Amino acid sequence: MGYFLLRRTISFIVTLFVVSAVVFAVMNILPGDPALTILGLDATDDALAALREELALNDPVITRYGQWVWGALRGDFGVSHSFRVPVSELVVERLPLTISLAISGMVVTVILALVLGIGAAAHHRKAGDWGVMFLSQLGIAVPAFWLSILLVLLFAVKLRWLPPGGFPGWSEPLGAIRALILPTVALALVQAAVLARVTRSSALEVMRLDYIRTARAMGFSRQRVLWRHVLPNALIPIVTIVGLQFAALVTGTIVIENVFYLPGLGRLIFQSIANRDLPSVQALVMLFAAIVVTANFIVDLLYLAIDPRLKARS
Amino acid sequence: MTRLPVNLMIGAVLVGLVVATAALSLVWTPYDHTLLNIRDKFAPASPVHWLGTDQLGRDVFSQLMAAARNSVAVALTAVFIGGSIGVSLGLLASAIGGLVEDIVMRLADISFAFPALLFAIMLAAVFGPSLTVAVVAIAFINIPVFARVARASANQIWTREYVFAARAAGMGRFAITRDHVLPNIAAPVIVQATIEFAIAILAEAALSYLGLGAQPPAPSWGRMLSEAQTLMYLAPQLAIYPGLCIVVAVLGFSLLGDGLRDVTDPRLVRER
Amino acid sequence: MIKASKLSVSLGAGQAVRDVSLLVRPGDRIGVVGESGCGKTMLGLAMIGMTPAAAKVSGSLRLDNAEMVGADEKSWQVQRARRVAMVFQEPMAALNPIKRVGDTVMEPLIIHMGLSRAQARECALSLFEEVGIPDPEARFRQFPHEISGGQRQRVLIALALTCDPGLLIADEPTTALDANVALRITELLARLARDRTMALLFISHDLAAVARSTEDMLVMYGGDIVERGKTAAVLSDPRHPYTQGLLSARPRPENVRETDGRRKRLPTIPGAVPPLADLPAGCRFAGRCPVEMSQCATVRPAEREGTICHQLEAAT
Repeated sequence: MGYFLLRRTISFIVTLFVVSAVVFAVMNILPGDPALTILGLDATDDALAALREELALNDPVITRYGQWVWGALRGDFGVSHSFRVPVSELVVERLPLTISLAISGMVVTVILALVLGIGAAAHHRKAGDWGVMFLSQLGIAVPAFWLSILLVLLFAVKLRWLPPGGFPGWSEPLGAIRALILPTVALALVQAAVLARVTRSSALEVMRLDYIRTARAMGFSRQRVLWRHVLPNALIPIVTIVGLQFAALVTGTIVIENVFYLPGLGRLIFQSIANRDLPSVQALVMLFAAIVVTANFIVDLLYLAIDPRLKARS
Repeated sequence: MTRLPVNLMIGAVLVGLVVATAALSLVWTPYDHTLLNIRDKFAPASPVHWLGTDQLGRDVFSQLMAAARNSVAVALTAVFIGGSIGVSLGLLASAIGGLVEDIVMRLADISFAFPALLFAIMLAAVFGPSLTVAVVAIAFINIPVFARVARASANQIWTREYVFAARAAGMGRFAITRDHVLPNIAAPVIVQATIEFAIAILAEAALSYLGLGAQPPAPSWGRMLSEAQTLMYLAPQLAIYPGLCIVVAVLGFSLLGDGLRDVTDPRLVRER
Repeated sequence: MIKASKLSVSLGAGQAVRDVSLLVRPGDRIGVVGESGCGKTMLGLAMIGMTPAAAKVSGSLRLDNAEMVGADEKSWQVQRARRVAMVFQEPMAALNPIKRVGDTVMEPLIIHMGLSRAQARECALSLFEEVGIPDPEARFRQFPHEISGGQRQRVLIALALTCDPGLLIADEPTTALDANVALRITELLARLARDRTMALLFISHDLAAVARSTEDMLVMYGGDIVERGKTAAVLSDPRHPYTQGLLSARPRPENVRETDGRRKRLPTIPGAVPPLADLPAGCRFAGRCPVEMSQCATVRPAEREGTICHQLEAAT
């Protein structure tokens, strides 16, 4: 087990470094001259020279990469070119919204998917099962941003129950929660469609096994057998997908924040693109990629917690 | 004669519909999809404009048809480029093995850290948003997917007797890869390509919606939706049609892919 | 007391169990033998209400005073573990792999018997001792993959005993185990039935194990009970041609070597058990029987002195 943990941790760190190198290369080597990209073709030579100095573009690439990584490790992502404040400040300011959205989205996804997936498996080949399968097939094909628009059309434009977008700030807790309901649902429904299918097929597989027959022979209720015996054993493939989905959800927040005009990291990225603010884009892309890689790492650790057989094997 | 699976048939019909529409739009649409007619803006559906017109009086039906062409073209290009590179890498990894295989597969693992959206964001920040950026980003995420499929299938082929026979006859690794491995991994690669097609159509729509893909006036379902969103109170119907088109196209390709997998790999026929 | 009358289980066009009548009293130890596919497992499943969804059960099955044929899943849940418990064939697969074996045994004690965790732990530990698991405290915290097959089967037996059932059905409990371990488990089951005055239905194709652990036995073929009686009597004086065939097919010293020392071919029952739907309507053994008569395949033989056979009917 210790060996597995060590190997996985090393590979996690190596992956982060490779990812940072890719991000750095795309953002600093591909454009040729980042200063020119930022200021545009009509920039004066003096302005270009000043920006090159500010971004330390005259140093060798390796040195700049080293400084960027070293800074990032200490939480220093440089200064936003357009906002004129440290990128880390912008991130700290907007992170709570993005994280709340991602986590509430994940919670709703998992609850919906487990209830629908286990329910479908319990009613295998009956109407409920077909219904869930149909909805999940459809859900996989519906883009989250279109679902958002439909939800806004129904709940904001027609029924006027919820705001169509925007965010009043955390100082108004009720308004903040109301503002997050539609984005959360839009984010979760599509992911839940995928996860419900995985849950269903994984549960069906477990339900065929001998130890489920043992549990039934012990007179446990259907619900107990499903939730206490089938579900924990069906979790292993589910956790894999949840890990991948958390990654999809985090990047999904980028889309959803733009649909609902929510001032989170996703909006910030797009403002930075519009402002040609390369240092901010670079930091934010790295941040999102790091969240994805970390999510995968945590999933591997979760396996160990779920399946005692893995501990024995590794 | 076994009956074809239902998902395969429904998928084939939907895909046929989308591809036929895209092809037809090359030679005929009811109107030029870029033709402005401000006096006739927000026209309701009628025999003149089958699905009405948008805020600039452009015919919605014609735009949807042209956007189908755009969608199919982007998906085709991106999946073809990403697939070719990915399959080549996978075949290379399988043929050489050892360190090369390890490195290729590790890189494939790592590249999963970059969803298409993040990659498109980087490219858009550097080069400015364009349809090319979307195509490159979608192609890029396809590389590791195809590399894995190709390597896994190729590794199986390498254990077959006819490959041993070819090696015994002195054929080189690359000749064997060309003559024996490649033709035999075609089925799983085509199945994967069909499924990736669905994902590519979704990705293009999302990127264009966010302004990272097709730029006005290029036709795109995603871009139409982003324009319609600002007009939700005036003309909610404009936000419906393009979404339906996306769903039909994505559903078609994903059902077709599932169906093809059921047909080509009977071991994998899942519990339905 | 458990009473089955004319209990049948139909699967599609065939009958896996046909008109079985059986009385089980507290403390009875009954062996059920027969080839694979003879209906003995299906009979066991019918008695705990766990026949496959496609199967139709008819006739009557009374658990004490409750009629269970046609009963719904909820009514069965109340009976399982408390009146009837079952131990299955594969101890490797029959335990939840991600639960500590102690927790597995504590679960019904808490859920069905209403014990607190501490009480359940005490009770489970004493059950572990009763079924002969050495060092119960240490075993308690282990996962199924960490203990041997014989220990797992003991855990499953302890589990089955948690709610003090009136009847324990053991379906081939020793088939997956080494001969040595199998012997111990067989003896354990017989001892538990005696000590607890619990009825035991011991389903096995192992005649030696049945001889060792049971007092009465049933021989099944094609869903029928073809012969029944005291275990010792049936084994020493089999009357039905099928039982005779089954007994002579055992590897024993006298049928391994000829008198001159040459190897003998082990006698076998010619043919194989036909698929359910193809079983003859009369005597199920018709077609494979060495002493078959003209009416055998079409007319059902009546029961005479614990066996059903036209030959014996004719003789009396």
